[in-house]
Amino acid sequence: MCSSWVVLAFCCLGQLCADQSLKPQIAAPQLATNNPTLTTVALEKPFCMFDSSLHPNKSYVIYLYAMKETASAISSQVTDNSGKPLDSTFQQTSGGQLGPYKAALFDVPNCASPPKLADVGDVNKVSDVLKQYLFRVGDDGTCLYDPNFLAVCNPPLAPDTTYRFKYVLLDSTEGIMKAQTLWSDPIKTRRVKLPLKIDTWPGRRSGDMIVITSILSVLVFLLLAGFLASVSSAVM
Amino acid sequence: MAKSGDGIRILQGLLVFGNVVIGMCGIALTAECIFFVSDPHGLYPLLEATENDDIYAAAWIGIFVGFALFALSILGIVGVIKSSRTLLLVYIILMLITYAFEMASCITAVTQRDFLTPNLFLKQMLERYNKSDADNNNDKWMAEGVTKTWDELMLQKHCCGVRGPSDWQDYTSTFRSNHKDADFPWPHNCCVMDAQGSPVNLDGCKLGVPGYYNSNGCYDAISGPLNTQAWGVAWFGFAILCWTFFVLLGTMFYWSRIEY
Repeated sequence: MCSSWVVLAFCCLGQLCADQSLKPQIAAPQLATNNPTLTTVALEKPFCMFDSSLHPNKSYVIYLYAMKETASAISSQVTDNSGKPLDSTFQQTSGGQLGPYKAALFDVPNCASPPKLADVGDVNKVSDVLKQYLFRVGDDGTCLYDPNFLAVCNPPLAPDTTYRFKYVLLDSTEGIMKAQTLWSDPIKTRRVKLPLKIDTWPGRRSGDMIVITSILSVLVFLLLAGFLASVSSAVM
Repeated sequence: MAKSGDGIRILQGLLVFGNVVIGMCGIALTAECIFFVSDPHGLYPLLEATENDDIYAAAWIGIFVGFALFALSILGIVGVIKSSRTLLLVYIILMLITYAFEMASCITAVTQRDFLTPNLFLKQMLERYNKSDADNNNDKWMAEGVTKTWDELMLQKHCCGVRGPSDWQDYTSTFRSNHKDADFPWPHNCCVMDAQGSPVNLDGCKLGVPGYYNSNGCYDAISGPLNTQAWGVAWFGFAILCWTFFVLLGTMFYWSRIEY
């Protein structure tokens, strides 16, 4: 009796542990070469990360939370006391500075048949592959300023800032968090340099220039000397 | 004192031959410089905006020098055959002036070529591409020229930026202040286009998926024709001047030996 409860406890712990050791990953660099950019980060969707927590007859949805790394000192909780995930927005958390904000929600990605990355070469399939494989945080530049926008707003991130992300599995009927990944490794957006600082000085002179200038100068000198010599010999 | 008859004939023959070559080279120089000035690659607005367009000035001088060489070579041939002191003196003086101009053209072309570095075009692209608020008419003209040239360059040569598309990500620019990074990590002309002139896949282009954006830089497409122009003007002019040097020395010697 006791041993079966112990086994069950270990099993449950094992499942939670399996979820807890996984983190959101940045999208494959050979696929998305321009990542992270100044204001966006493309993350791989959580393939096969939550499969141990899924029940066949229930519907689930995945939330993506983003926060600045500096906010982890203030608050990194994504649920309230009753297990419901936070509904914080970009504006409420000052862009992730005060705590995590909800950046997206989407369906659980299909673990059994993930998108084939090699299909990216086919122009007809590339949109679907990209949509199924990754999610771009910071993609929507207009939702912050649109008063009619009702869905989850995913505004551009701040440049030269470190962010962390987390996926949360939610049961859609109960509205309670079932599983969550760890916070991802810190991902920093790009930094820009000013064009004023670009140095346009060409450096040292090329060999061609020195050859042409020196030889031509010598030739002109010799010509003038020859001209003077012939004029003076003609005068005398 | 006069040289022997044969010696004079040989010298005359050599001078006439030398002048014929100068005449032909003059025409070739004019033709070559007209070709460069006509700007077949459409790169002049880039140079005009950098205010470093002296290789075009060198080509313009080359046009007139080439024509002058042709005219003077005819004068030289007539003067040598007639053994006329006046004609040959005029020939020598005018040739010296033309020589000085051609020397200026060669040195200008080869010196200015050194200024055409990737950083020069990068700075200009970042500051002027897509600039809508201009300080004055000159500024507006330059900005429009740069924008139009870069757009055509990116479309036709399938390239992006000076060293690569990362130029648009590494630096702030006028383009960046007009367009959000989320929608335009780089200009849409950097994307691979379909037959209708719109990007094949915009998301693929924004993410940098290989095959949907132009990943190489435009510097080769810019510097190739400009280098050809600078070297064409400079080295061909240099070759003409070396030949003209010997012809002129011979003519001066011949002139000093003519009896009245």
